[in-house]
Amino acid sequence: MSGRRRTLEALSFELVMTVIAVIALIIIIAPSLVVVIVSFTSGFSLRFPPPGYSLRWYAELWNAWQLHFAAKNSLIVAFWATGLSVVLGVAAALAISRSRTLSARLLDSLFMSPLVLPALAFGLAALMLFSLVGLPVSPLTLVIGHTVVCVPYVVRNTVAALAQLEPTLLESSAVLGASRLYTFRRIVLPLIRPGIIAGAFIAFMSSFDNVPVSLFLRDAATDMLPIRMWQDLEGKLDVTIAALSGVLIIATVALVAVMERVTGLSRRLTN
Amino acid sequence: MIMNRRSLLTTALTLGAMKAFPGLSFAQARPLVFATFTGSWEEAHKAVLVPAFRKANADAAIVLDPMLSVDQIAKVNAAKANPPIDVMLHDPGPALIAIGQDLVEPYPVEKSVHYKDLIAEAQEPMGPAPFFQVVGLTYNPEAVKTPPTSWADLWKPEFKGRVGITNLNSTLGTGWLVEIAKMRGGSEANVDPAFKALEELKPNLAAVAANPGALATLFQQGQIDISPGNFNAIQILKARGVPVEFVAPKEGAIAFKTTIHIVKNSPNRELAFKLIEAALTPEVQTTLMNPPYLIVPTNSKVTMGGEIARVLAKDTAELKKKFVFQDWKKINEQRSAWIERFNREIKI
Amino acid sequence: MGTAPASRDVTSYGMGLAAPLALFFLLFFVAPLLQLFWLSLHNDTAGLHWGLGQYLHFLTDPFSLGVLGSTLLLGAEVTAVCLVLGFPIAWLYQRVGPKLQTIIILIVLLPLLTSVVVRTFAWIVILGRQGIINATLQSLGIIDTPLKLLYTQFGVVIALAQVQMPLMTLPLITALGRIEPNLDDASCSLGAGSWRTFFRVVLPLSLPGVIAGCTLTYAAAITAFITLSLVGGGQMLFMPMYLYQQASTLQNWPFAAAISIIFLLAVLAVVSVFTTLGRLSRGHGGA
Repeated sequence: MSGRRRTLEALSFELVMTVIAVIALIIIIAPSLVVVIVSFTSGFSLRFPPPGYSLRWYAELWNAWQLHFAAKNSLIVAFWATGLSVVLGVAAALAISRSRTLSARLLDSLFMSPLVLPALAFGLAALMLFSLVGLPVSPLTLVIGHTVVCVPYVVRNTVAALAQLEPTLLESSAVLGASRLYTFRRIVLPLIRPGIIAGAFIAFMSSFDNVPVSLFLRDAATDMLPIRMWQDLEGKLDVTIAALSGVLIIATVALVAVMERVTGLSRRLTN
Repeated sequence: MIMNRRSLLTTALTLGAMKAFPGLSFAQARPLVFATFTGSWEEAHKAVLVPAFRKANADAAIVLDPMLSVDQIAKVNAAKANPPIDVMLHDPGPALIAIGQDLVEPYPVEKSVHYKDLIAEAQEPMGPAPFFQVVGLTYNPEAVKTPPTSWADLWKPEFKGRVGITNLNSTLGTGWLVEIAKMRGGSEANVDPAFKALEELKPNLAAVAANPGALATLFQQGQIDISPGNFNAIQILKARGVPVEFVAPKEGAIAFKTTIHIVKNSPNRELAFKLIEAALTPEVQTTLMNPPYLIVPTNSKVTMGGEIARVLAKDTAELKKKFVFQDWKKINEQRSAWIERFNREIKI
Repeated sequence: MGTAPASRDVTSYGMGLAAPLALFFLLFFVAPLLQLFWLSLHNDTAGLHWGLGQYLHFLTDPFSLGVLGSTLLLGAEVTAVCLVLGFPIAWLYQRVGPKLQTIIILIVLLPLLTSVVVRTFAWIVILGRQGIINATLQSLGIIDTPLKLLYTQFGVVIALAQVQMPLMTLPLITALGRIEPNLDDASCSLGAGSWRTFFRVVLPLSLPGVIAGCTLTYAAAITAFITLSLVGGGQMLFMPMYLYQQASTLQNWPFAAAISIIFLLAVLAVVSVFTTLGRLSRGHGGA
């Protein structure tokens, strides 16, 4: 009797948890599917389901020169911000990863703080500083601002990869007479490369998608894609944005698939 | 001394940065930046004015940065020496402010081919008016069977949760508020009655749009059925089959001219002039007057026709007779206080 | 390269390697924030008169305090929703095979990497008057007239919860993965029911993950400018938009700076509460 109540009780628990989990997973994935479906609408509004299907908004996308301009700017800035983040972030990660000193821990907190502090406040602060020194808003100021908020991802992933490195490996390399630089190039770098790539990938995506910093550091001549999309949505609910969203979703899925292959992204983010 | 140190720092930073980022060149001049309005304005300018301008000027680089007049003024004010915008578009209120704050250049009238062809009202030496705007009531004819006839209809209980308005940052919002004040015994100097009326409107409010362009979006999405609105703002939507209509309220629709200005210290002065010239040509104005844009022209060589002649006015003389022109000098005196008050009181 | 030749420890690198990033942060992160703080201590836009006027203005103004309060409350609501929905995902993740695990992770991960504008845009389509929810409810005959979902607190919470869910779920998956599975079984075999085991064993042991997830979700939710602006609409004002309006439209930089500082401090306070809880829970778990 009690055994049966136990199983019933266990069953109820598993059922409730599974149902909530499945609902939650559907809530997570559904919006992207909705956007992809709506982007093929033949109509002018975002009715769901669409009144008919066509590729017209994708064709429209081809002529949307303002979106092209913004996308180009966003890609350039994301490229440079990622590059800068990798160079600065990997070096810093090497320095702080195995150090137990107070300064290393302080630096670690400093480098991670852009993740929790409101980026909007930082965006405003950066704009104020740049205008104080007379540096006009430009791709350069955007790259600097984006690097600050993207570098934590590189540092974190590189530190995590370094933490899994066997110290004995490096010691034996040194014992065999290899120089530090040689050991780094031939042993350390290949082993932490997937971690660096994963960090760089996330940094790139978050720069490409950055709003709070771009909001203050952009102007019309340095238009950024997320801001342009936001303004288009707020001002005229352009269905072209749905087509663009479709393109972005598919590109993201493809990139994530590649990254999963190259770096085992999913394991990295849960360890 | 401070200036020196500051510019030294800037130069050092810039030089260092340019070494580090050869791809991010500063040598390249920035494109002409035209701050148009959001929504149908942006669409009309993108589709008609910009192509005409580029065709006449060897595909010169141009970017549209749609925003409200008040935002344009704020952006230029923040960087007067190196303004981020080259061409501004202003309704009467902000135009007075921009001129008063010395943000715009006199229009080079003597160089202009089309300036002398404009109707007298549009010939503004600080920036000509390429078109007129008319504000009345817009509504969804599928949901609102009997067309509204008065501003007061917005308060009808049947429109509970169906009314859209915009905040006072736009000319539409402020102009409308003033009309409501007049309807309730107030004036350009006293809008207290209007704020009381707004309080009563709250149950009916479905949305407060951030700008007039967003109002059209709300119609498109079925979020609202009735709102004060620009005649032109809905035309593109209407042409696309979205059910939306314009009607002039019996108190009189509001009319005002919209002027276009060269920003002081613009690095693209010549192109800015060319863009404004393009906006004044009979060709561009005629195209913009025809469906789906229906923008009221100001070039005397363009005769008003079609839907505009039918719904609004046959010519400027009738326009001036039929519509309400507000005293923006008076409105400007208190406008920022109203904006502040509106933002605080209209939270639903 | 090696900056510490004296050290024979080959497994660590000199702190000098952190210098470039430290300098970069000093110049472009710390300096701007200090400048922000400096400006917030001025009573005029030009930054000539020192004073606490901006802070007094904010802290004595019911409107501003209301904006702050509703922002902090919103963050709490979103975090709660994320926790309730995210925990079962992490739980399910531990019970399925490796194939399904990868699928779950990718589903969770995808939104994190999809543009936030796109994700928010989806919610406009879903919550609108002609959106999926209203269309479904109407076709089922549950409602006659469409519900107002967009531009409401409910809409904002749901949309934000979906947008920020990965930030909650990923640390939870990590935390649950570290719990000894035998512990669960042991508790059950000792006669504790599944629910009891969950609340008495699994949940407390996963507290570090819960706290990490809550911190990230909370911090991200209250600064989600795009979602707040598009799903919240023009009537609901939260700190990010308030800050942006003051800075951009009104060019009131000292007040915007004060708003930023207050906002920063509020976030820091919440984060440190979470961190303290985390430390306490870890102490508790170790005992």
